[in-house]
Amino acid sequence: MSLRTVFESQPDRRYIMFGGKGGLGKTTLSATSAFWLASQGKRVLLFSVDPQASLSDIFQRDIFGKGPVPIVQNLWAQEVDADRRIKEYQDEIRKKILDMYGFDKVPEEIDNYIAAASAEPAMEESAIFDAVVDIIVQGDYDYYIYDLVPLGHALYYLSMAKVYDEWINKITKLREDMRQYDQVAATMRRQETIEEDRILSELNYIKDRINASSQILTDKKRTAFFFVVVPEEMIILDTKKAGALFAKFDVPLSGYIVNRVLPPELGRGNIPLYLRNRIALQEKYLAEIKEAFGADVRAYVPEMERDVTGLPMIERLAERLFAGP
Amino acid sequence: MADQTKSKKKGGLLGVFKDIVYGMSSHEMTRHAVRTRASMEHLFILVTMGDLLGIPILPPYYSLRLLPYVTPQISSWKRRMLRERDVTDVLG
Repeated sequence: MSLRTVFESQPDRRYIMFGGKGGLGKTTLSATSAFWLASQGKRVLLFSVDPQASLSDIFQRDIFGKGPVPIVQNLWAQEVDADRRIKEYQDEIRKKILDMYGFDKVPEEIDNYIAAASAEPAMEESAIFDAVVDIIVQGDYDYYIYDLVPLGHALYYLSMAKVYDEWINKITKLREDMRQYDQVAATMRRQETIEEDRILSELNYIKDRINASSQILTDKKRTAFFFVVVPEEMIILDTKKAGALFAKFDVPLSGYIVNRVLPPELGRGNIPLYLRNRIALQEKYLAEIKEAFGADVRAYVPEMERDVTGLPMIERLAERLFAGP
Repeated sequence: MADQTKSKKKGGLLGVFKDIVYGMSSHEMTRHAVRTRASMEHLFILVTMGDLLGIPILPPYYSLRLLPYVTPQISSWKRRMLRERDVTDVLG
């Protein structure tokens, strides 16, 4: 089944992710797919959660932290600026404290805590996670294409939804138990109503967001995840391992895309030994890929004669990648 | 609190009687419920704001959302958590 058939036969799969090791062409393939879908009249948002995002590079314009930026008709691209998001979030928390208690300034130890929390290594990932939730719950687009970070991060990102979910369930339960004691005390004092627990409502809000996000990520009907591989030994081994790990998180794997395939006609001429060896090796690894992922390979993408940057090059690649059936 | 004074005025003698019965029967239980509630509050702050005492918790991003609501309790919570304890605590 080709990439085109996958998209055409499963129009409900609106959340598209490309994963794989760094530097294999995830950004190229997600930009190309986004471009093609947009050319088919779908409204597409391509976004990156990578702190070192490269959408700006591939489209050759600065879109970092600028929200969804229109690229061509029907196509928007967005790079999340996690640092700015964290700063805005901290200010929002400070303002809330000032408003709630009418303080002139946030108490020192609280303020220190807010500042220290953002130095936590998990803070940036969490902020990005939250930004993605924002993006996908708004739901104005036909397609959401994630330009995912390298594999390790992607796994972390996917597992984060599960960790959050368990954490939030535990503390929500604790909060609900506390609520019962409030109720008991109130009944015995013959008070009719107790104040609404605003922490509980806040917890439920967080819970809804995390659920919305993890449901989408693991929903086979709505989500498609593609692995990008290249015909090289290490990459093939890693991808096999990652495939097994992703299956653990119930990620709906929709196929593999083999990138950077040297054109076979290259081997026919009178070529240097080095190149001849490379091509022979590639044959071997392509055979391995066929054996391991065979029917799940959606496309073999040729190594282009130059880097894929700028719209004309993306368009050319899209024509090849999504050539008619 | 305002509700209680109101009902006292309204209830008159009956209200006083009700309060006496309340004091004899369920005051102790109420106190227990309120105290349990208070220690749970501290437990709750510990699992959400543990970082304030250097106990790493997960994940700081969302726990910051809760910080405004527990801000007034933070200092009493810290006092309780960091207080030295001895055998009289168990007796008390």
